[in-house]
Amino acid sequence: MLFDSEKPTIGIEYADGETILREGEIGDHLYVILEGRVEVVVDDGGERPFQLAILEKDGFFGEMSLFSDLPRVASVRALGPVRLMTLDKRGLLRWLADDPSLSLRIMLKMVERVRLLVSEVVHLRKLLRDNRLL
Amino acid sequence: MELTSGARVAVVGGGPSGSLSAYFLLDLARQTGITLQLDLFEPRDFTQTGPPGCNMCGGVISESLMQKMAAEGIVLPKELLLDAIDSYVLHTDSGAATIHPFHAEMRIASIFRGAGPLGAESQHPLPWSSFDQHLLEMARQSGANVLRRRVRHLDRTPEGHPRVFLHPAKGDSSDSTEPFGTYDLLIGCVGLNGSGVRMFEEMRFGYRPPRNDRAWVGELYMGAKEVHRRLGHAMHIFLLDIPGMKFAAMTPKGHYATFIILGHGVNEEVVKRVFQSPRVRSLFPEGWETPVRPCHCQPRINLGPPVNPFADRVVLVGDCATSRLYKDGIGAAYRMAKACAFTAITRGISAQAFREGYWPVCRQMDRDNALGHLLFSMDGIMRYFSPLRRAMITVIREEQSRPQDPRRLSSAMWDTFTGSAPYRQIFQQAFHPVILWRLFVAMLRALVPGQQTDAIVSTTIRE
Repeated sequence: MLFDSEKPTIGIEYADGETILREGEIGDHLYVILEGRVEVVVDDGGERPFQLAILEKDGFFGEMSLFSDLPRVASVRALGPVRLMTLDKRGLLRWLADDPSLSLRIMLKMVERVRLLVSEVVHLRKLLRDNRLL
Repeated sequence: MELTSGARVAVVGGGPSGSLSAYFLLDLARQTGITLQLDLFEPRDFTQTGPPGCNMCGGVISESLMQKMAAEGIVLPKELLLDAIDSYVLHTDSGAATIHPFHAEMRIASIFRGAGPLGAESQHPLPWSSFDQHLLEMARQSGANVLRRRVRHLDRTPEGHPRVFLHPAKGDSSDSTEPFGTYDLLIGCVGLNGSGVRMFEEMRFGYRPPRNDRAWVGELYMGAKEVHRRLGHAMHIFLLDIPGMKFAAMTPKGHYATFIILGHGVNEEVVKRVFQSPRVRSLFPEGWETPVRPCHCQPRINLGPPVNPFADRVVLVGDCATSRLYKDGIGAAYRMAKACAFTAITRGISAQAFREGYWPVCRQMDRDNALGHLLFSMDGIMRYFSPLRRAMITVIREEQSRPQDPRRLSSAMWDTFTGSAPYRQIFQQAFHPVILWRLFVAMLRALVPGQQTDAIVSTTIRE
């Protein structure tokens, strides 16, 4: 047990630094963070992987590959001990059919990420323009 | 007939169906820019041990509900969890078999709905929290006005708006006949165990409660060490040849083991026979005697379906309307609460809106329960034909010893007792030709003299 050994735990636990999912793999699970933090990293050809985001309790990851059937675009590593709940693709699709409102939160999170992405793109374009690279 | 900003909503009952209805309704209203005034009436104090804070339930959160809640962003704090269930042990008169899940992840939780059994208050502070209190707090934090008051009477104004009348508050000797409030929508989450159902029947919109029967739920104190030694992290299911009993289950919960007996007309005689069964006694500590009167209750369980659980501006959610047969009642309440909230916000609050948006969810569960009744009726066949029970244990053991092969019967049994899948899916799994053939072969083997399975297996799951 990575957390309080006296207490029963729900979910699956990962140790600090452990890779939870790997860039390029085909994914069939969505991961929800019950406890702890994870970092989302991509290999951009640099010396060290580039950190895209840090996700905390209640956050989830793995949804892009789950819905698109394409390889994962980033790796996810545990930042300290982390406890996750996984949802497999078949189960999730069945629940979404039974309860479409379940997709609302997933959509809201994805919208949030698209907004962040747009603001990052705008920020990068501004940097490039300021440095007369654009 | 729609909910608009400033609309008033009354939720009668603060169990999971009431708290979740309030939570989802307020959450969806916020997302759609509607401001609601929601009063939730719940007289019980879930921080009290024993009957004053108890909602009479076995207290197991199913695998699918844990996952759905996680996807929804509802993460249960660790102090709610008494234990995490990692396997099921199926006990019959002719043997036992352990069923492990297909994954290494712990997804089933045992909880106390209230603050725990009578007598647990001697532990200060309690090392756990109440599940129902947690959900009630979620509703309160979403904006629900939680009132610890008992509803006396319900009616509707000539214009059709529901009115709520309360019993006088403690210390209030006035005999007011005035309604506490007039509402745009009334959500009834009164379960089947109190007088709440009658209040909704008396509103005369054609509601009749579902068929129901009594179960038996008891909390047996053994001490955490013994509970862990005897039960492990497994839920123990008993399919025994005892008239009146469908099945019984024993769930580890810290210092306690929760014992549930389901059947038709479960009475003291049935309870006594269950506790005298060698199979059940083999799980108790040596020399341990069942307390004469452990903290127990005989809750009504929904055998469905209800008649007309909605009208213009009124809807019933949870056990008083529909549930899942013999399992996952909290999961059913969760699903109905969401369907009710989604309907009220997106379709409206007329009877027609609930018929189109909410009722199909209930009907789907009721239709699935019909298959559940059929599955559980097989238990009668097994009871009188023990070679079939022995065959079932043999096939499950064979499947569990070969994890690389499809484990169809194990999977069907896992889903039956965990509540992870609808009965329709379980039915398809259980009646797969391969399973039927393997059961037939195992049954023939069981009929050969000298080929019997063990009488009692070792009961120490994990040291």
